[in-house]
Amino acid sequence: MSSGLLGVAGLAGLLVLVEALPRLGLVDDAYLPPTSRIAAALGDELGTAQFWQAVGDTLTGWAIGLAVAVVAGIAVGIVIGSVPVLRAATASTIEFLRPIPSVALIPLAVLLYGTDLGSTLLLVVYAAFWQVLVQVLYGVADVDPIADETARSFRFGRWARIRHVLWPTALPYVFTGVRLAASVALVLAVTAELVIGAPGLGKSIAVAQTSGAVPLMYALIAVTGLLGVAINLAARVFERRSLAWHQSVRGEVPA
Amino acid sequence: MRRVFAGIATTMALTALIGSASGCGSSGGSGGDTDAGGVDQVKVGVIPIVDVAPIYLGQQKGFFKSRNIELTMESGQGGAAIVPGVVSGQFQFGFSNMTSLLIAQTKNVPIKTVAAGVASTGEQGKDFGAVMVKADSPIKTAADLAGKKVSVNTLKNIGDTTVRESVRKAGGDPKNINFAEMPFANMPAALQEGQVDASWVVEPQLSAVKAAGGRLVASNYVDAAPNLTVAAYFTSAKLAGEDADLVKRFTEGINESLAYADGHPDEVRAVLGSYTKIDEKTRTALTLPKWPTEINQASVETLAQLGAKDGIFGDATPDVAKVLP
Repeated sequence: MSSGLLGVAGLAGLLVLVEALPRLGLVDDAYLPPTSRIAAALGDELGTAQFWQAVGDTLTGWAIGLAVAVVAGIAVGIVIGSVPVLRAATASTIEFLRPIPSVALIPLAVLLYGTDLGSTLLLVVYAAFWQVLVQVLYGVADVDPIADETARSFRFGRWARIRHVLWPTALPYVFTGVRLAASVALVLAVTAELVIGAPGLGKSIAVAQTSGAVPLMYALIAVTGLLGVAINLAARVFERRSLAWHQSVRGEVPA
Repeated sequence: MRRVFAGIATTMALTALIGSASGCGSSGGSGGDTDAGGVDQVKVGVIPIVDVAPIYLGQQKGFFKSRNIELTMESGQGGAAIVPGVVSGQFQFGFSNMTSLLIAQTKNVPIKTVAAGVASTGEQGKDFGAVMVKADSPIKTAADLAGKKVSVNTLKNIGDTTVRESVRKAGGDPKNINFAEMPFANMPAALQEGQVDASWVVEPQLSAVKAAGGRLVASNYVDAAPNLTVAAYFTSAKLAGEDADLVKRFTEGINESLAYADGHPDEVRAVLGSYTKIDEKTRTALTLPKWPTEINQASVETLAQLGAKDGIFGDATPDVAKVLP
């Protein structure tokens, strides 16, 4: 059986389990409704404009935040990584800022931006930026010194060396960073909406919870999970297509 | 050593950068934006619960548009973010329970109520909030709550002070009640599973607990004071001083909304479907609060005394006159 089929079987097993637990009376169906009722709530919700608006808001926050983090992460990473003095000067600062959980910045976000998109972006960018930056730094450090020296011998300028030596070396790391950042960005987008009340799926989950609409709450949670799977799959496909020439990808493709 | 200094220097530079960014972020004025047609864009910080149905209904009915106010409701993060939001000018108005406003006053937070928010029905056993227990609980009256674990949504606030008063009135000793803090939404499950002995719940969770066979032991808002004013709309002292006209128009709009909501319960139940996800069955059955247009001053003074008795204001004594309009 292929890994894809096994994955589908695993998901089906989870759905059956959630259907069975409340039906067998092992958990109270008021707090964990069976799959069929969650699916029905999801079906109703799919027909509302509010739902699609919320999905759009979440994806907007995710996409803008991720784009800002990726661009900033790559730019800062290349600059810091290729200047040894800067690398030494920022190492301790990065190690200090990076482990700060984005969620701890919620009070700051609320003070600065209230309950608007800005709050979501602050959290998303902060969390995603470090994922990209650290990978770019590793990538820059991985440049083959002989290749770099060879480029210098051929009188490549600074820009040409970044373009032809540093960038191809760092690219697989960049993609890893982007893929990690994409997932983290979604987690933080939903968290910000849930806790701060910025518009999006997270806020819809909070409203469903305070309204006692339990099946809908689970349905919306499932939607965030599906979004995460979709984002991860898309990032992997994009990575394979763009890095088809690289040995890390070539090696995985079955002959 | 040089590396350490360099690290410290960059940290300081970053801190300065973040500081300057925050200066840009908080540039929003307190008065809201006025467009060319003289319409004021007003943001109101609310919690998406039954209590604020009148403002959503009034918005639908055009009670604010007719006064040149374009409302945006900002909901989320519970009530805790609303007071800072109003004081910092992110929201022009906010909705908060009276005890929170009294606490804010004792801390000299510059706020002023502008209109009544929501009031108890004043009827024993038929209020929109109550202390509930499981059907088979040994707790029969409020007096039996002494020494038991009771859940409230926020500690040292309107929930625990009014529940203590219920216990006092029933002849019990409120000193040893063990209050546990949890969101209202979690209470039906916590009560069912026996994590707490009793829960103070409001609608729609009150309906949920009743549907699960829960039994009512006290109507704490009714016990606390007759026709208790539970919450109010408020603004910052700054806006009240700078734009008295906007505040006056907002108050008129709220009062019209409150009066309309009180007279049209069916429309209130319908509007609940627009900003909450309470299902239709619960919406038609739940107990609605009262929405009088006057703040019951005597009841606010009672809340202040109850809070002082329970020590929720620290050493300070709230000045009710400073909070009320």
